[in-house]
Amino acid sequence: METLMAYAIGVLFGCAVYMMLRRSIVKLVIGLIILSNAANLLIFAVSGMTRGAPPLIPEGLQLPEGAVADPLPQALVLTAIVIAFGVLAFSVVLIHRAFEVVETDDLDQMKDTDT
Amino acid sequence: MLLALIILLPFIGVLLPVWFHRHGRTACAWATALPPALGLVLLFSQAPAVLAGEVRRFSLNWIPELGLNLAFRLDGLSFLFCLLILAIGLLVILYGRYYLSSDDPMGKFFALLLLFMGAMLGVVTANNLLLLVLFWEATSLSSFLLISYWNGRSDARRGARMALTVTGAGGLAMLAGVLLLGHVVGSFDLDVVLASGELIREHAWYPVILVLILLGIFTKSAQFPFHFWLPHAMSAPTPVSSYLHSATMVKAGVFLLARLYPALSGTELWFILVSMVGLITMTLGAVTALFKHDLKGLLAYSTISHLGLVTLLFGLDTRLAVVAALFHIMNHATFKASLFMAVGIVDHETGTRDMRLLSGLRKYMPMTAMLGLIAAGAMAGVPLLNGFLSTEMFLGEAVAQRVLGGWSWVIPVVAVFAKVFSVAYSIRFIHSVFYGPSQPEALPKPPHEAPFFMRAPILILVGLCLLVGIVPNLIIGPLLAAAATTTLASPLPYYSLAIWHGWNLPLLMSMVAMVLGTVAYLNFARLLRLWERLPAVNAMDAFENFVHDVVIVRARQVTGRLENGSLQHYLSLLILGTVVVAASGLWGLERLNGGVPLSALDPPSVAIALIMMVTAIYSAIWHHERIAALMFLSVVGLGMALIFARFSAPDLALTQLSVEIVTIVLLMLILFLLPPRSPNDSTYAHVVRDGLVATSAGIGVGVLAYTVLTRPQQTISDYFIQNSVTGGGGTNVVNVILVDFRGFDTFGEITVMAIAAIGIFGLLDGMRLFDPKKDPNVQWASDKYPLLLLILNMPVLPLALMVAVYIFLRGHNMPGGGFIAGLIVAIALILQYLANGLRWSNNRMQWDYHPLVGAGVLLAGLTGLGSWSFGAPFLTSAHDHFHIPLLGEIELATAMLFDIGVFLAVVGATLLILANLGKLKSLDTASEENR
Amino acid sequence: MLRFAVIVAMLLFTVSLLLNLYRMVRGPDLVDRILTLDSLYVNAIAIIILLGIFLGSTLFFEAAMLIAMMGFVGTVAVCKYVLRGNIIE
Repeated sequence: METLMAYAIGVLFGCAVYMMLRRSIVKLVIGLIILSNAANLLIFAVSGMTRGAPPLIPEGLQLPEGAVADPLPQALVLTAIVIAFGVLAFSVVLIHRAFEVVETDDLDQMKDTDT
Repeated sequence: MLLALIILLPFIGVLLPVWFHRHGRTACAWATALPPALGLVLLFSQAPAVLAGEVRRFSLNWIPELGLNLAFRLDGLSFLFCLLILAIGLLVILYGRYYLSSDDPMGKFFALLLLFMGAMLGVVTANNLLLLVLFWEATSLSSFLLISYWNGRSDARRGARMALTVTGAGGLAMLAGVLLLGHVVGSFDLDVVLASGELIREHAWYPVILVLILLGIFTKSAQFPFHFWLPHAMSAPTPVSSYLHSATMVKAGVFLLARLYPALSGTELWFILVSMVGLITMTLGAVTALFKHDLKGLLAYSTISHLGLVTLLFGLDTRLAVVAALFHIMNHATFKASLFMAVGIVDHETGTRDMRLLSGLRKYMPMTAMLGLIAAGAMAGVPLLNGFLSTEMFLGEAVAQRVLGGWSWVIPVVAVFAKVFSVAYSIRFIHSVFYGPSQPEALPKPPHEAPFFMRAPILILVGLCLLVGIVPNLIIGPLLAAAATTTLASPLPYYSLAIWHGWNLPLLMSMVAMVLGTVAYLNFARLLRLWERLPAVNAMDAFENFVHDVVIVRARQVTGRLENGSLQHYLSLLILGTVVVAASGLWGLERLNGGVPLSALDPPSVAIALIMMVTAIYSAIWHHERIAALMFLSVVGLGMALIFARFSAPDLALTQLSVEIVTIVLLMLILFLLPPRSPNDSTYAHVVRDGLVATSAGIGVGVLAYTVLTRPQQTISDYFIQNSVTGGGGTNVVNVILVDFRGFDTFGEITVMAIAAIGIFGLLDGMRLFDPKKDPNVQWASDKYPLLLLILNMPVLPLALMVAVYIFLRGHNMPGGGFIAGLIVAIALILQYLANGLRWSNNRMQWDYHPLVGAGVLLAGLTGLGSWSFGAPFLTSAHDHFHIPLLGEIELATAMLFDIGVFLAVVGATLLILANLGKLKSLDTASEENR
Repeated sequence: MLRFAVIVAMLLFTVSLLLNLYRMVRGPDLVDRILTLDSLYVNAIAIIILLGIFLGSTLFFEAAMLIAMMGFVGTVAVCKYVLRGNIIE
């Protein structure tokens, strides 16, 4: 499963990078979304792929019975998901604003800072 | 403590001239004179002890971790320099009072002067190498400000820039040398460093350290080949030239030679480097000085020449040479400062410094002429003046040294050659300015004598030249002995300070130089013609061309190539760079598989992973149809959620699902705003190039993930799991981490969300809209609010709100929490906009979302601050069990309040973003409909 | 017996996921893809529930509930976009 997951992460990263290198702004946004997914998956996966043991402590106990999944990466990824949404929203609106000002969504034509 | 006060006084005193500036110029000068006068008194109170060989120390911890302490020492050497700095400083202040015109901002001038004085005192008394470098840089900076004092003049600005660049670059080299030195010795403490001479000289790094530190010294003391900045620094006001560029700052370099003499000297490398640089500088300076028509230019090259002489003395292998060097430093400071002041008077009273215009001024300013004559005599080394004594010692040592082995005779010969020119330019200085026929009509201003107080500093200095020249032992014998003892770090060799040593070789050399110098001056016109045949090199232009070439042309080329404005270009570089760094790390591994057994494949997980990969690739290939690409994206997101569910992360699955839905809504809104056509896609070559970059990035991350996944790992989460119930009062460890252990992070993250939302709000303000409805080729449906959606929507809102409350409340103990509940509420409310339209929803939800976001962040922050009132650190949570009627036993934690803050912030931010995007264009459509 | 049934059901839903993928990739129309996305959400509910039964844990049911309750919002947004261009009006 780990091998497969490594493949999945690699493919996601590759797609994200490819999309981010396109000229269209919309593609850049798609690339960003895939990239944040890929990064989350990477962080989540490398913390160990535990099945059927969420980091919860049974009622009335102080410690979980047996090994559980690592809670820290999960907490990190959780906030990362929400933040990624915020960043995504901000970047698309920024891009839209830029599109409105320079009247193109072609990144190659957005090179000048003066326009 | 007293010692620290001496250094501190000028720094505190900086405020005085700024303050007294408005009370007139005399008051300003008096106030400025106060700190150095006080410092001088304090210094003299230390004199008996220091002259007896004691070393006064003061130390205060500053950043001991870096080895940087506020450590000062006052020994013979420091005392000598402190005396020069404070005494000449006082005279310069008096002189400056009369030199500056009423238009010049005097407060600024004196404040900068005091700043420099403090920095210079710091250099000479620092007992810590890092501290010394610090003050060293401070002298460069304050010198820069002083040179550019008349900042309206371009030559002043250019000269200042050049001085700063050269001395600053040297300072950087010195810092590197000092850091290496400290590393070798193991301490930056000067006491330790000076005692570790053997260790340093035998270390493999010694040549590197020596060269780096000498670079700092040579740039500061204007030694060849870095001498060119000093003549251009003469665009400073004359008091500054007199103080910084002859008496003190340029002596900082030779001071450091003396200071580090016990630590660094004694090797062949030292003798060759220091003596050769000194010899070349001395000769070059003396020769050039003769042919300068500008009085200050003559003095500047003469200063370079004398500094070269001192440097040469430090590079000679006799111990007496050091004594001669220190002696000459003192003498040079006195006669050169007075000469500069005399030039200042000439310049001030006639309006020019050009020797070709000036002539016969003796008639108009007899006092100044007299003083200038004596000082110039000292410069030329005329008997009965102080310059004669140190020159004799110098010539004596030049004869006695054996630095160059069989070629050692070169040094005294060259020394006499330089001396000839030194005599010649001294004669030229006096003769062409004060003697000869008087022709006042050629001058810009009618010449007259300067006020008495402007001449007084020169009088004092010239008096000293005479006194030292006649009764040297009485005046400076003890001081010189103390300084030399410190420098040599051992008992002094025998020497005698006397005017008459009998007929000996040095005296003969002196006399030969005098005669030849006079002859040279008599043939000045012929020599000048020869000189003018040499190719003229303007150091300023050469320097600026060099700087222009390196900084502007080359840098622009590099920048232009790297930073061409293309985002794709930057990204490719960034990504490839990262891949290379990561790959070099992975290269070192013996094998990629770390040996941890792999877990079994199960069909659903394989299917999910497969779906994610395929859809990701398709979203990349299908991107020409945006909406299809977005559908693929949604599938990737769903796959993420399923992976989270499969591998024990219910919280993440919930969050991912909610965000996924919000993202779709956002993208649909944005797609509407962007033009439907994409620009022509990249060329085939671009596709291949980007494909390669993407593939390398993908392979890189994949391999990285694989290597990490197959290696045993240590987690730092055990603490969180163990303390979750006892410390955080919750059984859902993820949520406890979010709201308690790492609450500060979460606080930061909701703040980021809030900022993003507000930022979007700001960006959308006043936005013009693109309306795709104007496209006649697209057939749009007529039904704005489909009935099915309306009916379906009705039960969803209350249901969703209830679920949100449930998810929120159980969040601390079971999967859920503020983030997820907030997203659910946001989706439910957005659905109202989708189904019922903006107007309907706005009528029912008449609140603003900004306060909601603000309230959320504020509540979370206040919860954190609340723990302060109990004396606990920020965001410490408390929890307890309460019995509430009807509900039964319930556990409440302050973390719950924090989570409410998170909840509010997420709801507010999400709605602020989405509703504003929707609201905007509907206004536009609405206006269209009204038409 | 239940375990066996759950495993068989999961396998079947896995097959269904892959069929969804096929439809997603093939299309041919945008509407096909929208429907596929919706049916993927439904399949995801089933997979999550089955996983819960298999593990004997109720922890994942909220995720299923969330998909059931909210999953259609995404579909609605896409449909509205296709139909009207403007999704909030």
